[in-house]
Amino acid sequence: MTRVLHAEPHDTGTVDTAPNRADEGYDTVFSYRELARLDEALTMSSRETGLRFTLYIGDLGKQTRLRAEELHARGGDPANSVLLAVSPGQRVIEVVTGPSAARRLPDRACALAVLSMTNSFASGDLVGGVVNGLRQLSDQAGHPRLARDH
Amino acid sequence: MTVVETLLVFLAAPLAVYLLLWALTYLPGGRKRQGVQYRPGQSWDHEPVWYEPQPENAPTHAAGEGDTQAVGSSLYGETAAIGSGDGAGPGHGGHGSHGATAITAGAPTPASVGPLGGARGTW
Repeated sequence: MTRVLHAEPHDTGTVDTAPNRADEGYDTVFSYRELARLDEALTMSSRETGLRFTLYIGDLGKQTRLRAEELHARGGDPANSVLLAVSPGQRVIEVVTGPSAARRLPDRACALAVLSMTNSFASGDLVGGVVNGLRQLSDQAGHPRLARDH
Repeated sequence: MTVVETLLVFLAAPLAVYLLLWALTYLPGGRKRQGVQYRPGQSWDHEPVWYEPQPENAPTHAAGEGDTQAVGSSLYGETAAIGSGDGAGPGHGGHGSHGATAITAGAPTPASVGPLGGARGTW
C-alpha cells in the first residue's frame, strides 16, 4: 500500500521533449532580457553575414589563446565561424576567426571590435559590449553576396 | 505661529519627506534584478556557457508534416529527426539542432582547418 504512495515520479519526456540543459539549469548569469539581446545579436549578425558567430563566456585557462582556438575548432563549421570567447574572471576576450571568415574579417577589424568591447566590459557592461562588438564585426564582414560582387 | 507649529513645519515635515525618500530608495523589496551584475575584477565562477545563433533556415510555421508533434514545438518547427541524437556537442550536429542556447563544452575534437585570425583584448 505504502509502496504505491511512495512511487517515484517519472519523467514523461521523450527524446525530443525531454528537458535539455537550458531548460532545467537556466543559467542565472544573464536575465531574460539580456539573453534575448544576445540571441538577437548572434542570430542577426550570423544571418546578415553568412558567417557563424558564437559566443563563449567562461574561464579560458592559462593559455587563453590556445583554449579559444581549441573551442573554435570544436564548434560546427570552423572555417566560417567566428568565436568570441570572453573570460570575465581573467578579463580577457579572444576573437577567433576561421580561415574563410578571416578573409572578410581582417585582424585589424577584429582588434577594433575588441577595443570597443573591452571598453564596455571595463565599465561592467558585458552584454552591451558583446552586442556592440557583434554589430561592428558584422558591419565589417558585410553581406556575402555584396562581398562577392567586389 | 507657536514654537510647536514652527518645529512641525520646518523640522518634522522635511524630515518626514527625507525619510520617505530614503526608505523608498534603500529599503529592500524594490526593483529586483535578474542575473549577475558583473563588476570588473570580480571572480567569475559560473559554468562556462556557449551561445550559438539560431539556425539559418528555422521555419517559423506551426508544426506540420514531418515536424515533431511535441507540445511547444510549434514555435520552432523542428523536424522530427532533430534532437534524436544525444545532443552532446555542436560538432556533429552542425546547423539546426541548437538555438541560441547554452551548450556544454563536450569532449575535445579539435581539427585543424588552416590559419586562424582574430584579436585579443584585456580590460
